[in-house]
Amino acid sequence: MMADRRRVNGPSGGTRPAVFASLAESGTGVSERAQRQRQPSELRKIFLKTGLIPTASGSSYLEFEPSASLAAARINPKSLIPPSSALKLACTVHGPKPLPRSAAFSPNLVLTTHVKYAPFAARKRRGHIRDASERDLGVHLETALRGAIIAERWPKSGLDITITILEAEDDRWWADAPDSHDASWGMMNVLAGCITAASAAIADAHIDCLDLVAGGVAALVSDEEKQSSAAPKLMLDADPAEHRSIVSACVVAYMPARDEITELWLKGDSSKASLENGDKRSVHEALLDGAVDAARGAHTVLAEAVRESLLKTVG
Amino acid sequence: MATPAANAAPSVSPSLSLPPSQFARLQPHAYLLAHLSPPPASNQPSIRANGRAPSQFRVTSANAGSLTHTNGSAVVRIGDTTAVCGVRAEILHTDDIASWSVSSSSTSNSNKRRRLGEKTTDEDEGQDENEEDRAHIEDLNLLVPNLSLSTGCAPGFTPGAPPSALAQSLSHQILSLLHSTRLIRADDLRIWYQPPNLGSEALERHNESQQMEIDAGQGSEESDPQEIKAFWVLYIDVMIISLAGNPFDAAWAAVLAALRDTKLPKAWWDIDNETIICSDDISEASRLSLRGLPVASSFCVFEADAAAGWRAVVIPDVNDQKAQNQRKKGPQQKWILADPDGYEEGLSQERATLVVDKAKNGKNVILKMEKHGGWSVDTEDLRQLVEISGQRWDEMKRILDQC
Amino acid sequence: MSNQRQASSASQTPHLSPAELSYLYTSLSLPGSPIRPDGRSPTQFRPLTAETNILPGTNGSARIGFADGTQAIVGVKAEVERTTLSADTLDAREFDPNHDRESQEGSAAVSGHGSWVQMSIEIPGFRDDDALPVFLSEMMRESLVGSVGADESGMAGGLKGRLVINKRWHWRLYIDVLLLSQPLSYPLPLLSLTTHLALLSTKLPKLKSQGEEDPFFDDDWAVAEYLYPRSSSTLKKSPSQHVRPPVTLLVISVGDNVIFDPNREEIAVADAVLAISVTRGEGGGLKLLSIRTIDPPSRLTQPGIPNSENVNMLGATPAEENALTQATGEEEVSGVWRPRRGGVKRSVVANMVRTVLKKGGVGEEVLEGLEGVEVV
Repeated sequence: MMADRRRVNGPSGGTRPAVFASLAESGTGVSERAQRQRQPSELRKIFLKTGLIPTASGSSYLEFEPSASLAAARINPKSLIPPSSALKLACTVHGPKPLPRSAAFSPNLVLTTHVKYAPFAARKRRGHIRDASERDLGVHLETALRGAIIAERWPKSGLDITITILEAEDDRWWADAPDSHDASWGMMNVLAGCITAASAAIADAHIDCLDLVAGGVAALVSDEEKQSSAAPKLMLDADPAEHRSIVSACVVAYMPARDEITELWLKGDSSKASLENGDKRSVHEALLDGAVDAARGAHTVLAEAVRESLLKTVG
Repeated sequence: MATPAANAAPSVSPSLSLPPSQFARLQPHAYLLAHLSPPPASNQPSIRANGRAPSQFRVTSANAGSLTHTNGSAVVRIGDTTAVCGVRAEILHTDDIASWSVSSSSTSNSNKRRRLGEKTTDEDEGQDENEEDRAHIEDLNLLVPNLSLSTGCAPGFTPGAPPSALAQSLSHQILSLLHSTRLIRADDLRIWYQPPNLGSEALERHNESQQMEIDAGQGSEESDPQEIKAFWVLYIDVMIISLAGNPFDAAWAAVLAALRDTKLPKAWWDIDNETIICSDDISEASRLSLRGLPVASSFCVFEADAAAGWRAVVIPDVNDQKAQNQRKKGPQQKWILADPDGYEEGLSQERATLVVDKAKNGKNVILKMEKHGGWSVDTEDLRQLVEISGQRWDEMKRILDQC
Repeated sequence: MSNQRQASSASQTPHLSPAELSYLYTSLSLPGSPIRPDGRSPTQFRPLTAETNILPGTNGSARIGFADGTQAIVGVKAEVERTTLSADTLDAREFDPNHDRESQEGSAAVSGHGSWVQMSIEIPGFRDDDALPVFLSEMMRESLVGSVGADESGMAGGLKGRLVINKRWHWRLYIDVLLLSQPLSYPLPLLSLTTHLALLSTKLPKLKSQGEEDPFFDDDWAVAEYLYPRSSSTLKKSPSQHVRPPVTLLVISVGDNVIFDPNREEIAVADAVLAISVTRGEGGGLKLLSIRTIDPPSRLTQPGIPNSENVNMLGATPAEENALTQATGEEEVSGVWRPRRGGVKRSVVANMVRTVLKKGGVGEEVLEGLEGVEVV
């Protein structure tokens, strides 16, 4: 493998992450799965603040409230293994600025989105170069925002949106086998956070939008040992670390004023799942509605943060 | 350019028709100069455009340990410049080191013994230990600092592009400072293994032979033979979230605060699995014992006439007399600005960075002094900068102790 | 660069004038019976030629060519690999065999791991780390490995489970997708159909070793087993009884109409573009695996100018509306093209998904059609 000469490289032989013995010691109580303390339709609190980065035309910082278990672990630390993690990300907006001279004419604002995890954002160390999942997130984010921005007001201009994820969401509980649900469910929570934060930063940069677009996640989770015994439950803003398995999840970018979705990403096999009795909707519709509800919740936080930033500039 | 409005109101002088914010953009040099050299009649002190005194640092705050997936982390804000540092420890097995040999693990044996015996943490460690610290930390690349500016921290750094020249330079400055200050003890990073006592026959053969070798090397000395099985490698990643001048001070402060926050789990060699196993018990984890507290202070030099010095050398006879006169009684020619913001950095060529620590007797110890880009700072100025850096050290110590 | 960026999230916008776009939109959004430029019905696919097993060096391969000349080739290669669980879980478990978590031990060996399927997409004119290939491969891979859960038909855990040889060994699947020409329309349907066919034709050599031995295989290619097993007698058992690779359909909505397999011009006027991945579930029904929105290129088109704003027409029409139109930018003037903005309503999404999933709907038709290729 070629070493990257532009960075400081570690030992050439490679290093290994620490292996903890606690899995072997049964009955320590440390390796207890965190339990969801919230109601199924209750979201985690979102801390959102705009304008923290003065060199950018717009910026925002978003943080999810740590789960009950993580908060407890923070106050009274026992183990070096965190029970779960809480999203933290910073978003900057640069522009609108003239497109480079080499670029082709564009009658609309050209949006560029860039999502990068910090190397220390997740349990597994991330590389310095964006991998496929980070690029994938960038495309999702671009789709979500492009529908909301009134792009024809800035012909021949570009807008760069950069998100640095300082702490990501877990894909599963850390002590679960890596396969138990290996799909990257945490990525969906991250995307929802990215959408909300980017929307706040765009408003902070005074770019015209149709509405503040907010991200929301809903998931069908099953916490029973046997999958067949009970119907999976619909949870808003599910933290994958708190559930045994996630059957299916959905993230949307939603504009309440127009009741429209600019980005929809649903995955997981929900064919065998059935909703609680009386619910006539098909599973994917229920998921979609749940995600929209979650986005509505995020939207109230978003609106408040934008109002605050406006008062700051006016006052 | 006289605007119609200015013409209509003659009481407003045309020079004032430009609001300060635009003046600052159009004539940055003159704007800053006007701030720094107020008319002598006004009796005002010389003040920077951002309202600070020349030797004043920006408001600094630090917060450690807020990131979940790190062994140690810190956020340091110096004014509008924000640096986030996360330290991740990973394990480097000696089997994975190509150049590792039994001899290198056994030489450290005596060292280890002494460490157990005296438990010295003072500066008076033996020279050989220093040499070995250096050998292990530097040759094995146990410290891996990387700084990233592609976070949208300022316009002009394209995200996704390879690290810019500035980012590369900052990463290497941090690395060399980590090495030259010997901030981290190699001993904190070593994971030892003590083979079971030789007396037991149940020992596996390969173990036995290894044991013999070491014993032979020790000259059949009666000691507990220990060997290094692995090292901790510290990945020190700094993300500059917001850049408004002086990234190095912020980055270094973040690294320092994160390292002070870093806890390494207790680790041991597990003979059955032939791997290193760690304990996740926080009470068994240990903090790094850092050597001192090196604090970085950066300065930039703002010159009233940047070309004056250049002229004096290249064409000495032209205005030599004038310059001499000016230097003696004329207005001040240069200002050394502490902790420059982005605006001031853009207006100055000459930079100086000092890294100082304080000895127990309160004396400043200079760990690094770097100056480049000009020649207007002389020895006397540098002596003064050391003084200022010493004061900064007191301030930073207070901030870092609180976080 | 900006060209590439725009091309990344949707397909390139064709150079249609606003008037043409408006005309196309109107005819595609005719209530009930849209008129497509090539005369297809809304659910009809473009004619295509398909063949399988074209590359002798692969475990399975397929080629599909659309009538417009775009072709894609997919090759599937399988390699045997040792199963290593990530260190943090395995080592510790072996460390203490009496542990109550033992039941979980090696569960990866039963249900497989998503990273065992690797996909790369090559599209001329794009680098492999550009957004479009990355987005497409993530989209197709996630539906491929996404289906979890035991099926009655002997493919526990879907594709991932099929790749397990025993507790210590597994297959690694490399799926290489090559688009042979510049994409004329959004290449997703072509690539997905081709991948589906290639996977259907993929065979793995017959395992001769047993249990937990190191695996060795029968070198007789004739007895090799299909990756996706099929019934010995196609007549008795309907193909719907078997797990099939997923297929990702590109669906657009224009007005109230849902249109499948849009060509380049049609996608340029779409209100919403969805990629919907489906596969056959147990009992023959279709099951939904994933939905992703794709940024409709109609957002990037140039707006038409209504006569009221046109300088050349100044005076010919009353100018009062002028101010209103410019202020809101929302005013729809009939016959004047406006780039789409905003999102899609929930009811529209539900309608699109329903059209795909319904019995006898497009999804089933496509899967049956692809099955037919193999039989012939």
